[in-house]
Amino acid sequence: MDLLNPRALRWKIAGLAAAACCAVAAVIGFLVHDATRDRGLRVGQDRVLTHLATVEKEYARTGKRPTDADLRTPDQLPEPLARDLAEETSRGGRYGVWYDVKSPNHHWMWGAAAVGDQVLVVRNDMMIEERGLQLLDRSIITSVLAALAVVVPLAALATEPINRRLRHGARTARAIADGDLDARIGRTGRARDEITEMSAAVDEMAGALQRELENERRFTADVAHELRTPLMGLVTAAGLLPEGDEATELVRDRVRALNALIEDLLEISRLDAGAERARVDAVPLGELVADVVRRTGTDTRVAAGAARTVETDPRRVERIVVNLVANAHRHGAAPVEVTVTGARIVVRDHGPGFPAVLLDEGPRRFRTGASERGRGHGLGLTVAQGQAAVLGARLTFANDPAQGAVATLELAPGTV
Amino acid sequence: MSEARVPNPVSVLLVEDDAVIRRAVQLALERYGYQVAVAADGLSGLEAFRAGRHGAGGHGAGRHDLLILDVMLPELDGIGLCHRIREESPVPVLMMSARGDALDVVAGLEAGADDYVIKPVDTAVLVARIRALLRRATFQPSQRHPATAARTAGGANAAEGLLVFGDLSVDTLGFEVRRAGRTVPLTPTELRLLLEFAAAPGAVLDRLRLLRDVWDYGWEGDTRVVDLCVLRLRKKIGSTRIETVRGFGYKLVRD
Repeated sequence: MDLLNPRALRWKIAGLAAAACCAVAAVIGFLVHDATRDRGLRVGQDRVLTHLATVEKEYARTGKRPTDADLRTPDQLPEPLARDLAEETSRGGRYGVWYDVKSPNHHWMWGAAAVGDQVLVVRNDMMIEERGLQLLDRSIITSVLAALAVVVPLAALATEPINRRLRHGARTARAIADGDLDARIGRTGRARDEITEMSAAVDEMAGALQRELENERRFTADVAHELRTPLMGLVTAAGLLPEGDEATELVRDRVRALNALIEDLLEISRLDAGAERARVDAVPLGELVADVVRRTGTDTRVAAGAARTVETDPRRVERIVVNLVANAHRHGAAPVEVTVTGARIVVRDHGPGFPAVLLDEGPRRFRTGASERGRGHGLGLTVAQGQAAVLGARLTFANDPAQGAVATLELAPGTV
Repeated sequence: MSEARVPNPVSVLLVEDDAVIRRAVQLALERYGYQVAVAADGLSGLEAFRAGRHGAGGHGAGRHDLLILDVMLPELDGIGLCHRIREESPVPVLMMSARGDALDVVAGLEAGADDYVIKPVDTAVLVARIRALLRRATFQPSQRHPATAARTAGGANAAEGLLVFGDLSVDTLGFEVRRAGRTVPLTPTELRLLLEFAAAPGAVLDRLRLLRDVWDYGWEGDTRVVDLCVLRLRKKIGSTRIETVRGFGYKLVRD
């Protein structure tokens, strides 16, 4: 795959080498071609002048047209030849020459000399010079191609060590992103260049991130432990209080609220620390959602006819759905409907809709926006959003133009 | 909150360092009819367990049917304690962790715990987990596993209830597992899991189904308990016997 990618560094460098090669060849080729052509012309002119002198002498001796020359009136001459002859004559010369390249395959060198009121005209074939020039061009192109055939693979090969180091770096960075915090690029080979420098910088960054993340995780774990231990005692002890007492209900209700708040906060801090990884299974989505919604104990309608089996983490989907449904009941109005189509879950209520600030900026902790949405700590949707990110899913919030808030969870964004 | 008393009370050993949790959980479980012994640190937990096992002390504590271990304990932590107990006994172990991060959970399950809960846990949930664990542990040979019953009724093997896969033989009635003739000691959870596989050799069983059938979980269950139990089972019955089918689950190799 990498071998065929035309934008790969290897081909760029090979292309650069090829371009440099071609540029040098073009300049040299042009100069050589020009010089050779000049020399050919000079040879041709000398030849035609010698020839003219011979026929002129012969004409002077016999008074008749020599066999290898033409005798024409001046207005029978080709126009450029006549002009050159006139120019030469005015400068005191006697011969005019003209290189005729009108026919593409056959070039002629014309020569003209005035004899009386007539003009002796000779025409020499320039084929040999032309052929020589063509052969030269061809051999220049052949040698450039031969050089390219050597240089391009060599350049491509020469980039291989660089490529290997870059690929190793990319692999390492990806491994770090996938959660292998101990992965490092390290120093490979003896080269001390920009790649070494970048590798060192990336390793440094990975180390700093790892320390940060581990501190964060340790802190979260410690906080979790410190909060949950007394909470566990509280939850269990509250369960022991006498049944049917109003005070018992008050205590239990607040313990539940405290418990939910702490769990949400711990969850958000785990999500923020990036410590969460999805555990994927093949999950029949319709069944899962129907079951989860039923267990919320709320009056919620579920339509899961067109659901399919999705590769996802059911615990996280459960968290998201429970939070969305709870949010719809707390801040929206009945009826709350959950629709599952393919890998998409839509939770819709018929209340005043999401506040504008949530639609604009997404959920934020401890901010519930408009007061008509009622009370709440705003953590539920933040958790849902964070969990959706861990799943690689997309959670979007919108308002129905008619009435109500619509939250859409796409478990497989990009597919239908 | 039913308080149905069990005629022959189940004895639970709770090892927990936090005094409030220890006492509150003890009281709560006692309301559900369990007999609860407590220990405040790992070493005394181990001693209490051994004392119960050998009937020493003579105070009639008897053996413990189930252990609930906190992970962070003084002296000997829950994971170490679980390791020690697994060396001696297949008693069901439920870990209770306040940290809930992957490492704690995985370490506990690797040490041989059958299941785990994250604090704070509601008493009803705790009792549900205890019941699910005990159902596996008190699995009597007379109560045939429906799947294996169907299989043996089909006359798949000459000896009734005996299934053979290569060097592994599973007696689905006597609940004895032998590998190359030697008895393999399995915890109740491992045995249940193996029976689940043995009932459908060659078929791929997905994690969610195993979690539901063996651990009695719904969607909220953590499939890591399945993965780690399969890992422990492989160590005992041979690593190639149960194959991982990536993205789906596991299957038993028939041979």
